[in-house]
Amino acid sequence: MMPSFLLTSLLALPFAGVLGCLLLHEAWSLRISLGTLALFLFGSVAAMLWLPVAAVDVASMFVLDTLAAPLLPVFALVHLLSHLGTAKTVTSTGYCIRSLLAAGLSALALCCHDEYVLLALLVLTVMLPLWELRERGRSSRTFVVYMSVFCLLLGASLLSGLAERTPLGVGLLLLALMVRGGVFPAHSWMPVLFTSATYGTSLLFVLPLMEILVIVRVLITTIPAWMLDIAGVLCLVSAVYCAGLALVQTQVSRFFAFLCLSQTSLVMFAVMLHTANGVTAALCLWMSAALGLTGLAFSIRALESRFGAMSLSEYHGHYEQVPGLAVLFLITGLACVGFPGTVGFVPMELLFSGSYEKGLWVSGTLALAAMLNGIAILRAYFSLFTGKRQQTSISLSVTGRERAGIVLITLMVFGAAWLTPSVVDSRHRTAEELLGLQPTLHSAR
Amino acid sequence: MGTCMTVLQLLTGLGLTIVGMPVTLLLVFLATFLLQRKLSEVSISRLVQIAVNISLASAVLCAVLMLWQGIAQHPIELGDWVITPYYHLKFEFVLDVLSLSYVLLTLLLCTVIAGFSTRYLHRESGYGRFFVLYAVFLLGMVTAALSDTVETLFAGWELVGLASVLLIAFFHSRPSPPRNGLRVWIIYRTCDVALLLAAILMHEVNGAGDFDHLVGGEAWPDHEAVAVGPHFAVLGVLFVIAAAGKSALLPFSSWLPRAMEGPTPSSAIFYGALSVHLGVFLLLRISPVLDSAPWLSAIVVVLGLASACFAYLAGRVQTDIKSALAFASLTQVGIIIAEIGFGFRYLALLHLLGHACLRTLQFLRAPSMLHDHHQLENAIGTRPRDEELPWEQKLPAPTQLRLYRFALERGYLDALLEKLVAQPVLAMFNTFNRWEQRWALWLEDEQAPPPSKPDELAIVSAMRKQP
Repeated sequence: MMPSFLLTSLLALPFAGVLGCLLLHEAWSLRISLGTLALFLFGSVAAMLWLPVAAVDVASMFVLDTLAAPLLPVFALVHLLSHLGTAKTVTSTGYCIRSLLAAGLSALALCCHDEYVLLALLVLTVMLPLWELRERGRSSRTFVVYMSVFCLLLGASLLSGLAERTPLGVGLLLLALMVRGGVFPAHSWMPVLFTSATYGTSLLFVLPLMEILVIVRVLITTIPAWMLDIAGVLCLVSAVYCAGLALVQTQVSRFFAFLCLSQTSLVMFAVMLHTANGVTAALCLWMSAALGLTGLAFSIRALESRFGAMSLSEYHGHYEQVPGLAVLFLITGLACVGFPGTVGFVPMELLFSGSYEKGLWVSGTLALAAMLNGIAILRAYFSLFTGKRQQTSISLSVTGRERAGIVLITLMVFGAAWLTPSVVDSRHRTAEELLGLQPTLHSAR
Repeated sequence: MGTCMTVLQLLTGLGLTIVGMPVTLLLVFLATFLLQRKLSEVSISRLVQIAVNISLASAVLCAVLMLWQGIAQHPIELGDWVITPYYHLKFEFVLDVLSLSYVLLTLLLCTVIAGFSTRYLHRESGYGRFFVLYAVFLLGMVTAALSDTVETLFAGWELVGLASVLLIAFFHSRPSPPRNGLRVWIIYRTCDVALLLAAILMHEVNGAGDFDHLVGGEAWPDHEAVAVGPHFAVLGVLFVIAAAGKSALLPFSSWLPRAMEGPTPSSAIFYGALSVHLGVFLLLRISPVLDSAPWLSAIVVVLGLASACFAYLAGRVQTDIKSALAFASLTQVGIIIAEIGFGFRYLALLHLLGHACLRTLQFLRAPSMLHDHHQLENAIGTRPRDEELPWEQKLPAPTQLRLYRFALERGYLDALLEKLVAQPVLAMFNTFNRWEQRWALWLEDEQAPPPSKPDELAIVSAMRKQP
């Protein structure tokens, strides 16, 4: 009873924070949301370490299994860092509520074992960016068009016999998930979203990678292999295409959006391999990509809050003013491309190794995507941080909140790399369980 | 038996110390960054000297112990990082003639460079940054030199590449160093793809990334190729491409003069001595793979000799000392590569060691070259004669002119890479980008801007600008 109560409390925590924001004065919103997210992170880590395997909530709908347990702290960290990195000037009550709702919904989705509830949660998360776009008076047409297609395909899938796992039903669901995940050729909404909405909201919509959650929870054991193969090829194309586009962007927001697309496509590709090795790679890459991209977004947001939107076609020379952000940008960017010593290294190695089963050309294509991403990141680094030193009359050094974020991210990017052996081992067991190679998800974490 | 075990344990401890000291140094730098503490020049200098000297002492002790006990090879396993039924990732070091020679060379030169840099970069605004990158480079070199698995080598290889690039861009207030750094990064990343694919192939063919599975368990240079079928030749080709990128062999030679943008100590140690020889080291490590395929050995010989000839020609017309030294360095690297192709492993290793030491000295003297030249003139009482080789004069005038032009343009390598590779790729992605923007505008129901030329990217301009 006690574990159920604790899990329920943990999952309800972000929603309690929302209530707090609504009931108390606006001046308290930021503190409440930050406090709630910090508590949520602490609770998630505690739950991962101490709650018994397969703890069930009081309503018996949400389960903390071996898939959800390590991802919950990662999600909590992503939300906390996203909030820490947002400038105070843009953290309105609405923004705080959206952050808390995003944290709550993603945590619920992660622990949800009822596929209909999971799909409903997936649809609900779409409302958060839409809310912000409307609030900011930005055009939401592109986002609405793509997400309508997603919802229509989802509805069609349900009507076509998803419950009975008919090929049409699962195929349509896969298509819907690819639209939501921004897989080529349905990716154009993401750069538009990152340009129109805040980084925080966009990131919290994209990075939890709910699509992968649905694929591994609902589809992976029942969908025909040929469908996953085709989807895998599209993910591969998407990874290279978006990496190439990241290379030629002149706006930082679009650069980040395409980098994000390329990285998430790599994670999706790993799932589409539908082998134990591939899914293990996906589960590890999911965590490392989330951390890396959050850190990268953190540094970009901190930089843009000081200097406004920046172009990548000139050298800005901000290193001397904000060396901490420069270092953060570099290490998180390199972690995204699997640089040795960072959290991304082993997941990328696993991905390359897993991809060889499909042929050396597939591994070569993945390596090409990683190469292009690596070049794009260093190009952006040089553009933002090198060049003639800028003189300002006021200090632009990092704030206390930003310093906390930098320390947290740096420790995770380097520290998590050392924890990887045990993490990979547990992810491998989970992958086998998800693929039905082991009977249950309720083994030891 | 007991003594032997103690010696082996001691070797393991010393081997780990060699790698552990650069790691500790980096951890100290990381801690000061996180705690927002700024170390003084003296503290940085002392920390670096202590770390490098302890590593060097450990390496010397290892060499003495191995010679004394007659141990030809000693593996140091760090345990299995990842084991799944389908994948095995292991970090392992090895102490043998090749690895110890290279690591001793690395540590010796790094000690010299650390001492030199503390004075050379005194009061330079990027003093601390230089030594952080120096520590990354040192860790990468030591890791690569001692590696016994392809993953360990890859980790060191990448660290060396990153440190090199960031040091090329060290004087980052000027636009040219970052441009050249980016250019070198592009070539490094391109060639690293080959090493990555080789690592994947090794795993799939041998089930692990250990070099033992590739070249047998015997100590270097008595390795013998382990026949693994048709993949063996592909592996060899991939390794040669990776080595060509790191050692600036043809057709990747154009990055070497660009690398001279960095501070002189980094140019000396990286491009004159250590980094540029890393490709040579890789080929020495996998030399049985080359021996097993005569055509691959022939390719290596041709590649080495062609690079040497090219570098000789280009070096003859350089007007700045660092570029001239860079091409002189490449000439020797080309010859060493050819020696490996011919199967002279010991000769290649000795050539590498001697060349690295000489070139470091020359690079370090480069800033005082004019002073040295005046001293020479005073000593001999006249100006030194300009060397003109007899065969050059025997060539017909038009050929001389063509060769001169070829050398001056550095073999047109930059132009070729730009026109054949960079521009088409960038043009393609720029076109896609315009389509993306038009599609987004159409969806948003906004007026599309008039078609314009693609933005002048840093990459394109990096291709166009000479260092």
